[in-house]
Amino acid sequence: MQDPRLRLLSTAVLSLAAFASTTGAVAALIWWLVFTPRTKALPRPGVLLSLIAMIAVTALVSWWGGGPGVSYLVRMVAVLFLAAWAYAETEEGEMLAVAVWALGDRIGFEIGLIAEMGLTGLAVIRQDIDQIQVALALKGIRIGARSIVPIAALLIVAQIRRADEMARLLVVRGYTLGGRICPLFRTDSRDILASLSAVILGLLSCLPVRDVFILLQ
Amino acid sequence: MKVALEDISFSRGPFTLRGSGTFDAGVHLISGPVGSGKSTLALLLAGLLRPGGGAIRRDGVSSALLLLQFPEHHITSPTVAEEVRSWGLAPDDVLARANLSARANDDPFHLSRGELKRLTLACTFMRNPDLLMLDEPFSSLDCTAKRMTCRMIEERDAGITIIFSHERAVLPRVDTIWEMEGGTLTALGSVPGAISRWRHAPPYLAYALEQGARPENIRLSDAQEALCRTQG
Repeated sequence: MQDPRLRLLSTAVLSLAAFASTTGAVAALIWWLVFTPRTKALPRPGVLLSLIAMIAVTALVSWWGGGPGVSYLVRMVAVLFLAAWAYAETEEGEMLAVAVWALGDRIGFEIGLIAEMGLTGLAVIRQDIDQIQVALALKGIRIGARSIVPIAALLIVAQIRRADEMARLLVVRGYTLGGRICPLFRTDSRDILASLSAVILGLLSCLPVRDVFILLQ
Repeated sequence: MKVALEDISFSRGPFTLRGSGTFDAGVHLISGPVGSGKSTLALLLAGLLRPGGGAIRRDGVSSALLLLQFPEHHITSPTVAEEVRSWGLAPDDVLARANLSARANDDPFHLSRGELKRLTLACTFMRNPDLLMLDEPFSSLDCTAKRMTCRMIEERDAGITIIFSHERAVLPRVDTIWEMEGGTLTALGSVPGAISRWRHAPPYLAYALEQGARPENIRLSDAQEALCRTQG
């Protein structure tokens, strides 16, 4: 999907639908199968399986406590697949462009800048993890349960430090509030069809459709 | 003890690295400009990258260690002392060697890059592996620390030491010189014979050769001694 506005809209609507009900999650998964490059938009198998495992553990705990464990698993996996697709398709500067288009040069620019920095941070975390894996391999340390907490702490501290450096850099360069850009978007018919389908599926899975038909009768 | 490169090749995008040769026991210097492929070769020799073609064979090497170019890439612990322990070493000895005894409880990221380099160098040498690979060991160091690093390299009395560096001012005594350019590794041979074929020789060596001197090795003192012998 080329147009980041429609991509963001589709992701938001389908994520809400998937989170709200199992029907919505199934509808979102069908949409994901039809309108995305499917497995090509997913992260590396190791990362994907780790994320699904974390969701599965939470679902298992929920099911064990009498909660909707299976439903939670299906709903969160659907949200994960949508997020992975949206992240893979997003190009640098698109979040800033969408935010400025929607909310203007001041608040929109601020929100867009924060979103851009957040997305860049995700890519940097991936590089950090690769580097830490190399460092551990050189030291002859195998990644296990004992090393996960220090690694997580290291990643968080590194991210806070980078955010601080970025804030100082913005101040040094004279940044105060807002900025001007002229966002340009390309939209094709497939984008419109996909986003329209997403909105319809989202509405159908969120609205109490059965009640509507009863009223019509 | 030796490491043999058998017609290895490695490609990443438009860049391709190729090389053949044998690293025997002793100190090897692989010189070349920035971006010529030195760090990629270091990662290949350390087994962190796999060659697309050919093979890297180790004979009699029971332990290997690579010092990464950027010292912050080695950090896996929240304090300097714990970082040393993560290398399997006792902090007191290492910190004394790195002149960082007072910084044991500090966050490693609060050290300057030079201090961090001294720390990782001390850890690397204290581990004393059979195969030691040093990627740009002199970067971020002042002249005193560079000379100390040279001394540590020269004091290693066994094993294979491979230095990947574009340093052109402070260098240790070496046994063999290699050149890396445009992704191609070329063996220049043993010192002192290889010095006259060394295109990336530091200015003081190039000057000594121009004056007709024949330095015994690649250090500044070797060039000065050779000039003294020539000029009387």
